[in-house]
Amino acid sequence: MLKKRLIPKLLIKYQTLAKKRKPILVTTRAFLDEITVGDPVSQAKIYEAQFADELIVLNIEGCPIASDPQSLILDLVERIADEVFMPLTVGGGVRTIEDFQYLLERGADKISINTIMFENTGFISEAAYRYGSQCVVASIDFRTDEFGEAYVVRDRAKTDANVSLIDWVEKVVSSGAGEILLTDVDRDGSGAGINWTICKMIASSVPIPVIISGGCGLAEHFVDGFQKGLAEGVAAGTFFCLRDQNPMQTRAHIHNAGVSIRVET
Amino acid sequence: MFHVGLVDYHAGNIRSIATAFEYLGAKTQIIRKHENISHLTHLVLPGVGAFNFCFESLKLSGMLPMLEEWTFTMQKPILGICVGMQLLADSSDEMGLHSGLGWIGGQVQKLHSNNPSIRIPHVGWNTVYFEQDFGEHSKNTSRDFYFDHSHAYYLPNQDLVLATAKHGQEFCAAIQRDNIVAVQFHPEKSQASGLKFLQSFLSL
Repeated sequence: MLKKRLIPKLLIKYQTLAKKRKPILVTTRAFLDEITVGDPVSQAKIYEAQFADELIVLNIEGCPIASDPQSLILDLVERIADEVFMPLTVGGGVRTIEDFQYLLERGADKISINTIMFENTGFISEAAYRYGSQCVVASIDFRTDEFGEAYVVRDRAKTDANVSLIDWVEKVVSSGAGEILLTDVDRDGSGAGINWTICKMIASSVPIPVIISGGCGLAEHFVDGFQKGLAEGVAAGTFFCLRDQNPMQTRAHIHNAGVSIRVET
Repeated sequence: MFHVGLVDYHAGNIRSIATAFEYLGAKTQIIRKHENISHLTHLVLPGVGAFNFCFESLKLSGMLPMLEEWTFTMQKPILGICVGMQLLADSSDEMGLHSGLGWIGGQVQKLHSNNPSIRIPHVGWNTVYFEQDFGEHSKNTSRDFYFDHSHAYYLPNQDLVLATAKHGQEFCAAIQRDNIVAVQFHPEKSQASGLKFLQSFLSL
């Protein structure tokens, strides 16, 4: 039986330390208030030891990838892939087929795209044609209005994309995306719980896997995402980065609630 | 000393596969063109991408005669991974009907299910049930491996089915015919289970 996935999310920014630009791991609240956590590679190794099911690495500054000969994100993906034997989804700043190619060559397994989908919806089918739908993850950030209706935001939630979540999801799925990564901006980093109602609405309307993120503060929130939200995966940044709680206990809690997840490797 | 060749035809995650074999103590070498590979002990044919794109790239690379000589004349171990497995079939229905290499028969078809909770692509860790012994994996045992695909291999000859998995319907997770091994899952991304599988392939 296919298992549900617990997916740590690594948000990457760049800092200049001793005149050298280096990638650092951060957490955010509502995509703002960045807190530096530390070295992304060390953190990835911890997740490997804790049997995470997959990792998501997001280049949140959207720095150029294939077009930059000194791309730090390519170097980082390579260093992470050399340390972990689990699937990597990489995104942030992906705009071209070359970006896909370079990231896959360095060890990524799936590529997440976001902003480019607004500028060129045809890019989704172009990427799916070349790499297969299973490689193309549509990352969608949303907020909810006062009536509880979900709408899409873009550019790290700075701009309203003027489209409802359900309409946008239909568009990207019909264009060939193989997976949806939903992030509830207002719950990001809050620990207030997963938006399982929105996740359920989306997961019920599409045939492809949906990953929900934003708001995990307790093991129960993951259970909500899987059982009530019908998510295939729950992704979390702050929850995995900053908590002292043993992730093996989190996993045991989720398993005991009746969710089918990996308990041994 | 194991010396593993990785066939690079611009359609695969070569680096992660190399890392996994090196972790197991093997030497690796990337093969990009037709060349003398008789010094190698094992060969890997990876594959990420749409079936026909991969098939055309492999033909264009000029490496096909080299692979056939390795597999059928020298009869040395070769491992197909993901689309690298699917290429061995007679045909695939991904984006139109396409011919494959036809090395071991069988068809690649889109996964389908009437159950809405069975989502496609099939992404994530799923139980792989071994129908035969394979190195450190014993017959009638199961382990979790990582999958990421929409099309699956169906093989009429049950004797060649090394392992099965189920996603809506049952499909071939692994195939073995003598020196030819092929897997739908990604052993290089399947943590301890995957390393154990690759170790078993090295012992062929």
